Amino acid sequence: MQGNSVLNIALVGNPNTGKTSLFNQLTGLNQKVGNYPGITVDKKQGKCKISEHLTAEIIDLPGTYSINPTTLDETIVLETLLDDSNSSFPDLVIVVAEVENLKRNLFLFSQIKDLKFPSILVINMSDQMARKGITIDIDALKKELKSEIILISARKNLGIDALKREIENYENWNTEPIANISEKIDSVFFETIKTTFPEFSLYKSWLLITQQKNCNFLSSKLHHKITEFNKDNEKVGKYQHKETIYRYQIINEILKKTYSVDKNEATDLRSRLDRILTHKTYGYIIFFGILMLIFQSIFEWASLPMDLIDSLFASLSELAKTNLPKGTFTNLIAEGVIPGIGGIVIFIPQIAILFLFIATLEETGYMSRVVFLMDKIMRKFGMSGKSIIPLISGTACAIPAIMASRNISDWKERLITILVIPFTTCSARLPVYAILIALIIPDERVFGIFNLQGLTLMGLYLLGFAAAISSAILLHNVLKIKTKSLFVIEMPNYKLPSFKNVFYEVVEKTKAFIFGAGKIILALSIILWFLASNGSDNFKNASEIVSTQESANNLPDEVLNKKIASYRLEHSYIGNMGKVIEPVIKPMGYDWKIGIALISSFAAREVFIGALATIYNVESEGENVATIKERMAAEVDPVTGEKRFNFATGMSLLLFYAFAMQCIGTLAIVKRETKSWKWPILQLTGMGALAYIVSVITYSILN
Amino acid sequence: MQDYLVYIALGLAIAFLIKKYFFKSKKKGDCDPDCGSCH
Repeated sequence: MQGNSVLNIALVGNPNTGKTSLFNQLTGLNQKVGNYPGITVDKKQGKCKISEHLTAEIIDLPGTYSINPTTLDETIVLETLLDDSNSSFPDLVIVVAEVENLKRNLFLFSQIKDLKFPSILVINMSDQMARKGITIDIDALKKELKSEIILISARKNLGIDALKREIENYENWNTEPIANISEKIDSVFFETIKTTFPEFSLYKSWLLITQQKNCNFLSSKLHHKITEFNKDNEKVGKYQHKETIYRYQIINEILKKTYSVDKNEATDLRSRLDRILTHKTYGYIIFFGILMLIFQSIFEWASLPMDLIDSLFASLSELAKTNLPKGTFTNLIAEGVIPGIGGIVIFIPQIAILFLFIATLEETGYMSRVVFLMDKIMRKFGMSGKSIIPLISGTACAIPAIMASRNISDWKERLITILVIPFTTCSARLPVYAILIALIIPDERVFGIFNLQGLTLMGLYLLGFAAAISSAILLHNVLKIKTKSLFVIEMPNYKLPSFKNVFYEVVEKTKAFIFGAGKIILALSIILWFLASNGSDNFKNASEIVSTQESANNLPDEVLNKKIASYRLEHSYIGNMGKVIEPVIKPMGYDWKIGIALISSFAAREVFIGALATIYNVESEGENVATIKERMAAEVDPVTGEKRFNFATGMSLLLFYAFAMQCIGTLAIVKRETKSWKWPILQLTGMGALAYIVSVITYSILN
Repeated sequence: MQDYLVYIALGLAIAFLIKKYFFKSKKKGDCDPDCGSCH
């Protein structure tokens, strides 16, 4: 090395550490760009005058996280550092690190030090340390790493002269390795390596053994020797894994003593945003403000397209009735299938708006802050910050949410999370909530800004969350399982959401909702229509029976026909079934028709609206076809003459759906995840009983 | 004729629901967005 008239310096570092900025500062306009032999990857080289007597040829190597390559770019770094016959083989290595991600950068530095290169650690972006609240004890770090360290800011041209002065002295640098892998992993095995490959340093031999396929410069003799060595040693893969763990252990120890981040001292944009968004007071206010915006928008923006879809399906039913040949199958299409499917398609705008917001918040990096924010609360309730991800996912569907709880390592926290997830308001509840709120809550403004219907919807979401939290506290105190867990989350940088990603997420989630539920609703609509359109003798003779009963009253045809249709439905198969369960559901304020829809929706909640649409359409045979909302609004109690969906019944239904476990799929997945029927049965009975009691009390108070 | 079509549709609907809820799905792992059991 001493004989070199020009010093070869390799610039190595993780991607985005400012390596190329430093290269530009060192070389100025004295650069040339060529290709590495045989490949099209850019080879950037440049001359730099280090001092009066020393000039350097600097090679800017591709960014890499380690010298265990997974890409072509990274292979170049490995080859440059291992192939000493190459004209670019470095006399010394500058490892460029970035002040914020020092831990990850030191992994690569420790590998290069172990190759015994004279190497220096250059920490870039040091001008941002104060703004990011970072403090580094440089002297202690130098001692721990047995290396020279220079703080620079390549963009601001700070520390470059100090670096050059240090390079002048490179022959006195310490070349001792940082990690003694042989002793820590398996000293006997590494002794075998030393004796088999005495011509190389231990770490170089280890890299040649583990990275043989990436070393194209190996002679056939050496290639054969390594192959023979690997044949007898199955431990190589396992030891590579151990090496990574060991290096990070050493780095963690070193950084614990020398590197600290005080977020309270930080003043950069990300830190400032983090301080506000995760603040113990403002953080929650902002989070609830965002929730309010979402639920306001769901009602404000979706009402017009929903009305259009509703009218479209009503017209389709009318069209089918008037244009298809008369008969039972036409009736099935017009009264069963079309209203049933319409009952689900109508909710596309609301579902899409909900997921538009969720996907946008995820894309910006805000959701991770919510997880961090909520961890403080969740711990008090026997769950961890990680529980918030399944709970938020539960707003889409409880099934993937329950599966997402697998990343909670603590069994008690995981079990509690699984058991309370079904309380969170899933997208299947949204259609039921939306139509009932539209029926019983006036479309009015509160304080001139907030839509009352939107506030009610938000209240139901919060109620679901509160029910989940309350149940978690109960379970935390009841379940006697002793455990201890840690919460670790990496905060991504804030970024503008990608329109493409958000669009795909909204389309995928909406499609899953429509096609998943659509098939079940179609099948149930057919069955419900058949049960409502057929019956025993009273059903078949409805016309004669009602006409005889009403003969003395001389009713107009329209009224008489309506009475016949009601009588027929009441004596249909479904009517008979409904009458059986009516005594149980009467205290909740429901009639047998609502009861039928309630039972049908046990399989999946959103079937409720489609089932009611089918039942009311059968009853209104011969009348002008109205929308689902109009039919529900027009439904009256035959005894009192009051609206069926009044405030008391509506609230009772809303609360029933908020608490009841109306989802077979969720029960099945809970059984699979807990490997026991005990927990899904507990959920079904516990949630069912709570829903029933709350609905009965609500109806009794409000009626 | 229309009566037959109704019975065929009814049979298909019942068969579909029985298959969905009483027979295990072959798919394992993540929730199939088209499984319908979560909605």
